Amino acid sequence: MTYELTISRLIPATPEEVFDAYTDPEKQKIWFNIIGEPGIIEATADLRVGGYITNVWGKSEDELFRETNTIRVFDRPNHLATSSSGSDPSGMTMDTEVDIRFEAVDGGTLMTVVQSGFPSEEMRDFFNTYAWVGAFDRITKFLEQAAR
Amino acid sequence: MVQEQVLDRAFAALADSTRRGILARLGEGPATIGQLAEPSGMTLTGLKKHVQVLEDAGLVTTAKVGRTRECRLGPDRLEDAAGWISFYQKLWERRLDGLEAYFLLKKGIDS
Repeated sequence: MTYELTISRLIPATPEEVFDAYTDPEKQKIWFNIIGEPGIIEATADLRVGGYITNVWGKSEDELFRETNTIRVFDRPNHLATSSSGSDPSGMTMDTEVDIRFEAVDGGTLMTVVQSGFPSEEMRDFFNTYAWVGAFDRITKFLEQAAR
Repeated sequence: MVQEQVLDRAFAALADSTRRGILARLGEGPATIGQLAEPSGMTLTGLKKHVQVLEDAGLVTTAKVGRTRECRLGPDRLEDAAGWISFYQKLWERRLDGLEAYFLLKKGIDS
């Protein structure tokens, strides 16, 4: 019912170094802006299960994206799992699950990210075909009856 | 959320007559919190709470338009899933490129 995206990369450092650089707010501010358009980046974190990693970034104050990750698994340096809540400058939000593995391989660390829970076409179709059409007919009937 | 939870939240949200009224009004088109509060005589704070329940249930989406918050029937977020996936794809590429570059630069400086 939902989509996921997977992306992996070989990073030339040990799993400990990569895990720490990925989760440390001060290092995030550095590496996030090495590539791509420079802009505003804020990072805060409370690194423990139940804690958070929050990033705010954008080209200007009016175009800020925010992502709050609530930490579910904090297993340094192998595994980090979070529940992610992202919001765009218009206020639209998307809740997903993020699972990151750090695996020691020749040449460094293979970092694999799986982000899941994006609603699928089928789920949208379910709402449009069943939940909405039927629900609004029933709500309208209910309101009409209540008005009598 | 799995489909069961989505439905649980949706039905809990629909169990209240004020919220059904809000949905019926939004069925005619988007409205601001103020416009929704006017006919019901509710306070803005009270109405915001109802809208929040509907939003949590995925029945309504809200977005800031200037100084006001516009409400419309959901679930727009489902329509936008493809947009979010491509957004996150680019974000992860930027993050991993950044991390890779960070360590390449660090190695260059250290050696």
